[in-house]
Formats: sequence, C-alpha cells, structure tokens
Amino acid sequence: MSQTAHIVHLTAPTGPADAATPPLLQVENLAVSYGRIRAVDGVNLHVEPGRIVSLVGSNGAGKTTTLMALSGLLPLASGRIRFAGEDITALAPELRVARGIAHVPERRRVFAGMSVRENLVLGAYARGDAVDIASDLERMVALFPRLGERMAQQAGTMSGGEQQMLAIARGLMSRPSLLIMDEPTMGLAPQMIDLILDTVLEIRKQGTTILLVEQNAVEAMRLSDHVYIMRLGRIVHEDSGTNIDPERVKSFYLGADA
Amino acid sequence: MDYLGQLLANGLVLGAIYALAAVAFTLVYGVVRLVNFAFGELFMLGAFLTASLMLPEVRLLGAIVPMPGFSLPVAAAGAIALTAALGVLVDRIAYRPLRNAPRLAPLITSIAVSVVLQSLAQTVWGAEELRFPEFHLATLPPVVLFDSIYLSVMDLVVMATALAAMLGLSAFIARSSLGRAMRASAEDQMAATLVGIPVNRVVAAAFAIGSGFAALAGLLYAQTYGFAHSSMGFLPGLKALTAAVLGGIGSIPGAALGGLILGLVEALGSGYLPNGTAWKDAISFVLLVGLLYLRPQGLLGKPELNSAGRGSLLGGASEFGAGWLRAAFGKLDGGLARAASAGTPAALGLLALALVVGALLPSDYWLRILTLVVIYGMLASGLNVIVGFAGLLDLGFVAFWAVGAYLTSILFVLVLKDQFGVEPATIWWLLYLNLPLAGLLAAGFAVMLGTPTLRLRGDYLAIMTLGFGEIVRVVAINWMDLTNGPMGIRGIPAPNLFGIALGSPRAQFFFALALAVVVVFAIARLVRSYVGRAWVAIREDEEAAEAMGVPTARYKLYAYAASGFVGGFVGVFYAHTQQYISPLNFSLFENILLLMLVVLGGLGTFIGPFVGALIWIVFLQLALDLPFVQAYPETRFALLGIVLIVLMVFRPQGLAASARVALTMPGARPANAKEAA
Ligand SMILES: Nc1ncnc2c1ncn2[C@@H]1O[C@H](COP(=O)(O)OP(=O)(O)OP(=O)(O)O)[C@@H](O)[C@H]1O
Ligand SMILES: [Mg+2]
Repeated sequence: MSQTAHIVHLTAPTGPADAATPPLLQVENLAVSYGRIRAVDGVNLHVEPGRIVSLVGSNGAGKTTTLMALSGLLPLASGRIRFAGEDITALAPELRVARGIAHVPERRRVFAGMSVRENLVLGAYARGDAVDIASDLERMVALFPRLGERMAQQAGTMSGGEQQMLAIARGLMSRPSLLIMDEPTMGLAPQMIDLILDTVLEIRKQGTTILLVEQNAVEAMRLSDHVYIMRLGRIVHEDSGTNIDPERVKSFYLGADA
Repeated sequence: MDYLGQLLANGLVLGAIYALAAVAFTLVYGVVRLVNFAFGELFMLGAFLTASLMLPEVRLLGAIVPMPGFSLPVAAAGAIALTAALGVLVDRIAYRPLRNAPRLAPLITSIAVSVVLQSLAQTVWGAEELRFPEFHLATLPPVVLFDSIYLSVMDLVVMATALAAMLGLSAFIARSSLGRAMRASAEDQMAATLVGIPVNRVVAAAFAIGSGFAALAGLLYAQTYGFAHSSMGFLPGLKALTAAVLGGIGSIPGAALGGLILGLVEALGSGYLPNGTAWKDAISFVLLVGLLYLRPQGLLGKPELNSAGRGSLLGGASEFGAGWLRAAFGKLDGGLARAASAGTPAALGLLALALVVGALLPSDYWLRILTLVVIYGMLASGLNVIVGFAGLLDLGFVAFWAVGAYLTSILFVLVLKDQFGVEPATIWWLLYLNLPLAGLLAAGFAVMLGTPTLRLRGDYLAIMTLGFGEIVRVVAINWMDLTNGPMGIRGIPAPNLFGIALGSPRAQFFFALALAVVVVFAIARLVRSYVGRAWVAIREDEEAAEAMGVPTARYKLYAYAASGFVGGFVGVFYAHTQQYISPLNFSLFENILLLMLVVLGGLGTFIGPFVGALIWIVFLQLALDLPFVQAYPETRFALLGIVLIVLMVFRPQGLAASARVALTMPGARPANAKEAA
C-alpha cells in the first residue's frame, strides 16, 4: 500500500461524519494539575465513531497528560468525560478498559520481562478469563506478522519498532471501541513509521475508532479526519475533514514554539 | 558423618521454614518494592492463632475463652486465612495511602505496624510462652535414615508442606491470570493499569498470599520448637528477610534457595563452630553482609533491583487524606517552621528553660527522666545526621552507641578496676578522655560499616545496616571475655569532676545538658558547612548530586562517621549514668525507637530529636498512671506505633518537614519556604 493511496482515501472520510452522530468520546472542560502546575486547562474535544482524530502540539503541550486523564491514570482538577453515552469521569481505570477504551502509552511500555504471548494475553485481562483469546492472537498475528514469529521472545529484547507493534497489539487485545495511541512513531525509522501508520488505518478500517497523539503533525493530518492542536494545556485550533490545511495547521503548531 | 547428616536434616527443616517466610518478603517486595517488616509479626500471629484454635480453651486478655480445639490442619487453615485477611487490612490502612509518598514513610509504617502487632499480641496472649499443642502425628516414632539420622514425622511434614506450598505458588505465579497480573504489576504499574489490571487489588492479593506464607512458616516453626511467644517472630523475620535478600529479593526460587542456605549454614555453624549455638545468629548476618558486598542483587536476583529502592528517602508527597486534616498538619508544620527559623534564639531559649527546670525541679525521679530525655535526644540527633540530613536509612545505629558504652565500661571496670585494682575515683579524668576516644572508635566502626554499603541503595542499605547492628549485639552477648556477655557490666562509676562525684540526678542532668549543647552545636556547624550541603544534596537526589560533581561516596562516609561519633560519645555518658549496661540495652528495638523519635520530632531538624524524645519519654511515664496501662504496659508501644502510622499516612513528609534544613543552591530561594505558607 502506498502513502498516496491513503491520502486519497482519507480526503473522503469513511463513515458518517455529520453532527447527527453522537460522539463516542466527549470531553468537556478537562483540567489536570501536577501539584500547583496546571498542565491541561479546559480542554474540550469529541471523537465520532469510526474516525481517526489527532491531537498534535509541541513538547509539553499537555497531550500525554490529556490522554492519561482519559484513561483514569490522573485525577481531574475539573471536567467531564463521556464515553459511549456514559459518564466515566469517576470510573476506575480498569473499568474504562472494560468499557472499551484501550491506551497504548508513550514509550510503548511493554512488559519487558515477559514473552510476547504473555504481553498479548495480558492485553485481554479486562475481558476476564472465559473469552476466546486464541482467535484474538490470530488477529494480531494477521495484523503484525512479525509478532507471530516472536511469540516466545522476551518482549524487552525486541527492537523498538517491534515493541511498538506489540504495544498496539496488546491494546487491541481488549477489543476496544476506542484506541488511544500516544506517539506510536516516536523514535522509529521512516520505514517503520510508514508501517505503523498503515496499521493505524487498517485498525480503523476494522471498526476501531482512534484518538492519536503525534509529534509529526504532517503525518497526523494526512491520516486524520479531524485534528486538534494543543498548546500550553489548551486546544488552540481544530480542523475537520477536507478542510484540513497542512499549512495552516503547521503555522499553529509552530506558533507554539515561537 | 552421622553427626553431619543429622545437622543437615535439622538445617533442612529450619531452612524450609525460613524459605516460606522469605517468600512473603520477596513476593510483596517484588510487587510494591516495600520491605514489609511486619511479616515477622504475622509469622508470630500465625503461630498464636493456630495454637489457640487447637486448644480447648486459652487465656486471652486474662480471661479464659473456650476454643474449638481443632486438629492441626484445620487450625492451620483457619490461622492462615485470618492472618492473610489481617495482612490485607494492614496494606489497606498503613501502606496503600503511601504508594506515592517519600520512601521512608512506608518503611516507618511497616516498622510501626510490627511494634503495634507485637505489643497487641503480648497484651492479648500475655508475656508468657504459649505451649504449642501436640498433634497426633508428632507422637509417631521418628523416621531413621541411614541408621543414624532421626527425623520426626512432623519434620517430614514441615518439609513436604514447604515444598508443596512453594511449588504451588510458583505454578500459580507462572500460569494463573492473577499470577500474570502480579508479574505485570511488578514490572510496570502504569502499563498494568492500562491493560485493565486493578493494581490495588493485585497488591492486596500479594499481601494476602505473603501473609498466609508468613503465618504458615510461623505455625510450622512453633510446632517444631513447641511454643508460641509474642517476640518469636522477630529473629526469624529478620532471618527470612536475610534469606530473601540472599537469594535475590523479588525471586521466589531465590527465596527458597536463600532460606535453605541460611537453615543449613546455621545448623552446620551451631554444630561445628566452637560455642556455635551462641554464634549462629551472627553467622547469617555475616553471610548477608558479605553477600551484599560482593553481589548486591543476591544470588538469583536481577541487578536492577538494587536501584529499585533508589530515589529520595524523604522527597515527594502523597495526595492523601481529608483536606482539613492535611491543612491541620500543614498549619502545625508552619508553626514549627517559624519556631525553627528563629534558630539560635529558639535553641538558647530552650536551653535556658531546661536550665531553670533543672535548677528548680524538686523531684529526683523526674530529673532522672529528663536526663534520659536529653540522652535519647542526643542519640536521636546522631541518627538524624545520617537519616535526616544525608537521607540514608540506618538500622544499625545502636551499634555505635554500644561501642561507646562498652569502651568506657570495659576500661573502667573490667580492665582498670578488676585487673589492676585501680579505684575509679582516682582516674576520674579518663571519662573525659573516653568521650572523644569512643567517638573516634565508633566513627571508625561507622566508616567500616559504611564502606561496603556505599554501593547499596535504599532498602538494601537499610537491611545491611540492620545486619551490622545485629552482629554487634550478638558479639556483645557472646564475647564473654570482652563484654561479660549477657550478664552485662555492673558498677560503672558515676561521672566525676576533679574528684567531686556527680552522682546526684541534678548534677547528671546538667552534665547531660552540657553534652547536648556540644552535640547540637557540632552537628549544626557541620550541617551548615559545605559537608552539610552535600548531605542534603544526596538526600534530595543522589543521582543529581553525583552528576553535579559531589563525591557522594566520600560525603556518605562523613555522614556515617559523624553519626557514629555522636553515638560513641553519648554512649560513654550513658554508661556512666546508668552504671550498668548489658546487650539488652542495644537491641534493634532501641534503634527503631530512636528512628521513631526523630520522625516524631522532625527529620533533618536540630531540635526535633529532643522534642521527639521529650514527647515519648514523658508520655511513657505519664501513661504508667493509667490503670489500663498499668495492667498492660506494652500497650504504650502499640500507641506509639499507632501515632506514627497516623502521622505517616496523613503527613508522610514527617512533622516539621518545612523546618527541615533544605537544599540550598546559589541564588535559589529555600525550597520549602512556599510549602510553609
Ligand atoms: N509527573 C509530572 N509532574 C509534574 N509535571 C509534569 C509531569 N508530567 C508532565 N508534567 C508537565 O506537564 C506539562 C505537559 O506534559 P505532557 O507530558 O502532557 O506533554 P506532551 O504534550 O505529551 O509533550 P511531549 O510531546 O513532549 O510528549 C509539561 O509542562 C510537563 O513538564
Ligand atoms: Mg507526551
């Protein structure tokens, strides 16, 4: 699959995109503080089902903090989070996973001392023991053939790109309806970046909605149906569908550094 | 050969018990990186609960209570379940609120929980031993191996149970979903949370299993040696921790290996070394110290673990507790900080007050108590140098105190008086010579102790210093020729100045005050110097200090030396006021008490240790007037433990944290100034 093919594909977003669809994820006035430092300050965003939505911004903008708050890893200073029509603001992190939110964290964080298979099996933890894990493992191998060859390898000994694949696959094992990814291309070679981004599209095609954080704003815009730009803890700009103008986004993005 | 065989068999039984208890330490450390000192007490409770459930009736709180009289397996299962539940409760109350707190806080609460459980057990079951009821299997004739090695049926049961429990646990951890979740939480709690693992519940499960193992070990120990006692968990707990560290903490096969090695070495040591049974407790600690020096991660452990406990002992804070409670502690802290910022005037005011009290107080009894306050305040100040200023947890500090006390006692009594017949009054000046001499000797010891620990961090350091402290105590008990052993040394002369005996309580109180002025002044000078700034930098962040070019190894040794000097110096005076010392005066409990006094009064402050000592010792006396305390004196220690747990949970930085001597950088505001507001 070539890169250009995706762009064509993207400029005509799949799935209904009009305002009538209730959003899968809706965040209102989210604020998060570290001690006295307010890292996220009044963020509003929503993610429609079947979309790829990106959150971009320079270092320290508060992207990771936002995502951590969404999965319940950080307490909120204020705000509300609704997911699939339910208010999950006060829900424990493990229950959010069970509701269908998977989070692939920054820097992958695979369980380095365990095998690839064990990492994947752990990904399905929130679903309980009874479910059929074998078919999910097969799905993951179909998505990332490389993982299939390495089921018994210790995760910590794999390359960065392979670990990223594993981290994504581990997230998918919980059969999420929303997959949150924090800089999945960080520190990877260009070829590997292409592969990961191709997979992001493939995952969406298979029916999973995606909220993506990317440093690389240009790549993010190519993939996404909607882009939020964050700066100093706030959303400073957003653009949707065919309106995404890389140059304009870029200027906002760079503005953060200026 | 027969003898050897029998020793090996005994060693295996003991090793199996150590291994079971070591699993408790290793499992919980692996998952939450916490040395839960309270496992020794859960071990003891396992024994008491089993014995109680097996008896037709027991005396609890002085009243005869009917009991079910179960057989051993049923009683053991019940005791294990109860202890596991207690372990979970302890985690919930004393550790979970502190997951993000400075690392000293959970260590303190775990020691405090030990103290509470031990004094409660003594209150409930009494100070006497409870005989462990005989199980019918124990009456079977022993199994004889090779015609000469005798193993009772119960010995075989102990070994089989331990083996089965450990194999079962390994399989559980390796294969079950909860076991996998435990390993995942041990590796990376955040990632574990993100895959939907309820980490708090997994940690609770680790505590439940660990406490169950401790209880199992305790009941097997009690049934092997035939009794249960409220202090029975102390030494086996330390041994089990040693075994866990020996094998590599965090590793279950390591715990098994460490336990077996320890059991065998102790059995062989007590069988072959001259006077071996007396020395066997020292053997395991020597082994521990040697191994930590050569291979800090233990036999089967991963090297990273030595760094797992790194990070500032006192830094960070947790976001726990009701707002008003935290605010109340914050206010109290602000007040203390203002008092401390008055600095020298405040200290002088306090001294003046002490002088007035010393001059006017009519009661000799209270003067003696106040003298003790000053002594404990000075000792706590010495410990504070290493813990509060340099941020290194030291559980072997009592050893320095012992060195000072023994040096002067041996010279005055055992050598000059007993050997040469010199009358102490004619050599009164020797005391003044001994003060600095003992300080130097103890400082030398401290540097010796410190050197091998330089490579160790955090919890490993605490365990190693604890090993040193125990070695010194065991030596004091057993080196009869030098120390007079457990009988101690009597007839140490009271201090004397130019032939005037300072025997009266008032004179001794003033003497103590004079020494306290010297100690506080010296420590304050050191802390305000470049050395002190280096200490504080190490305390706040050792890596950063090293990166900024502070030769951390050298300054850590200075901290050991300074704290050792104070310990030895005060030890001399202590011996002369008490006029009798024995190894009992220098137990680990004293060290723990000193640590608690420092925490109570404020780590890293100058007057805090004295405040802590005053609060504790005066409370100890006043509490004796309460009828309940008169009936159960050990409840006072439980109360101290509870106070400390509450203090740590709601104020994990410790009291007077904002008065703590802060890290100063050129041009920077004092780091804690805003905190006090
Ligand atoms: N644990 C923490 N304690 C204190 N401050 C923090 C912590 N984590 C992040 N911050 C601060 O919060 C702000 C937002 O950080 P965050 O990691 O969310 O940014 P980001 O947009 O993900 O940046 P990057 O692109 O570099 O990953 C930064 O100023 C950061 O310094
Ligand atoms: Mg980030």
